[in-house]
Amino acid sequence: MRCAIASLLALVVAALLTALPAPVMAATYRVDDSATIPQEASATLRWRQFAPGRRTTDNTVEGGTTVQVRLNLAPWTQRNGRVFMVLPEQPLGRVTVRWTTQGRLLPGQLVSGQRALVYAGPILSPMLEETLALRIETDGTRLSSTHRLNFHFEIDVD
Amino acid sequence: MRHRSRSLCLGHCALLAAAACGPPAQAYTVSISPGSPRAIYLQVGVGSFTGGNYNSGGQPANNPTINTVSVTVPTAAVGSGAAQAMASNTGATSSFLDGFAFCNTGELYVGGFYRLTSSGTGTATLTANSSTALNNGSGSTIPFTQITWVSSGNGDTGTQPFASGTFTGNASQSIGGISSNQWAESCMTFSYLNTAVRAAGTYTGQVTYTLTAP
Repeated sequence: MRCAIASLLALVVAALLTALPAPVMAATYRVDDSATIPQEASATLRWRQFAPGRRTTDNTVEGGTTVQVRLNLAPWTQRNGRVFMVLPEQPLGRVTVRWTTQGRLLPGQLVSGQRALVYAGPILSPMLEETLALRIETDGTRLSSTHRLNFHFEIDVD
Repeated sequence: MRHRSRSLCLGHCALLAAAACGPPAQAYTVSISPGSPRAIYLQVGVGSFTGGNYNSGGQPANNPTINTVSVTVPTAAVGSGAAQAMASNTGATSSFLDGFAFCNTGELYVGGFYRLTSSGTGTATLTANSSTALNNGSGSTIPFTQITWVSSGNGDTGTQPFASGTFTGNASQSIGGISSNQWAESCMTFSYLNTAVRAAGTYTGQVTYTLTAP
């Protein structure tokens, strides 16, 4: 009888173990965005002010491009998370990026060296696709040749 | 049962390990490049901007007008050594940068800008070619070395970008420079030095200004 009760308890414990979800760890992960494709090979930045000023000069160059973003969120489906777009520090100095979206990601802006929230909530689909219209600006006196901006995405999982 | 529990544990651990490792690191790249990185503009006398002044959206345009700076020397003063003030016919007193009345009537506006997508790496140089003397059409000439100018600008203090001077009669006389990413302008008031008696007549000549970017 005692053996039967022990077996029953073991079964209950085992059932509870299988019913419990895996432990959830809050952490930041790099998102696989390898399917993301910029629609233009290069964004041409032009002077915001074609001519310099008499005493103070705005040396900003600005331009735009469109990026078809595809984020592989499969590892975090059915979990809550916050997705950020990241632009690391750039050797040419401060780069400011503003973007608009079609609604699946948040519009926003970020400065090189920072990250900006583009999504918060439950991860319902393994693949998140969005079109970002980027507006990029930087100091034209430091952009003398083509420069590559390496963006990436991170996710903070609850 | 013990065996099944171990299997469950292994299953959870494998799941955790996968989550901790995450997918391979990726990054998408946007290349940015400077468009129309160099631009240069020179205005001597009248100029043209389309769409208003620059600060209200105007853009530089070509203006081929050749302006005149002149003086009529009274007979009694010819060759006296008393400098005779000259006046330009431009009527261009306002800067196309912002419409500011930078020059006064009779002065010659000289200005421009130099755009470059790098800092402190160059200066555009303004030169004047005054190598061909003024002549009266009857064989008499007056060298351009007889003409001098004083530079100024309303509201300006300090050194003028195009300093006061006298024509050298050379083909490439330096008048001044425009540093990269600056707008520079001066107003020139010309005078005829009048140091020698000349044959009667109307003397004309042309000075050509050239702005050269490195």
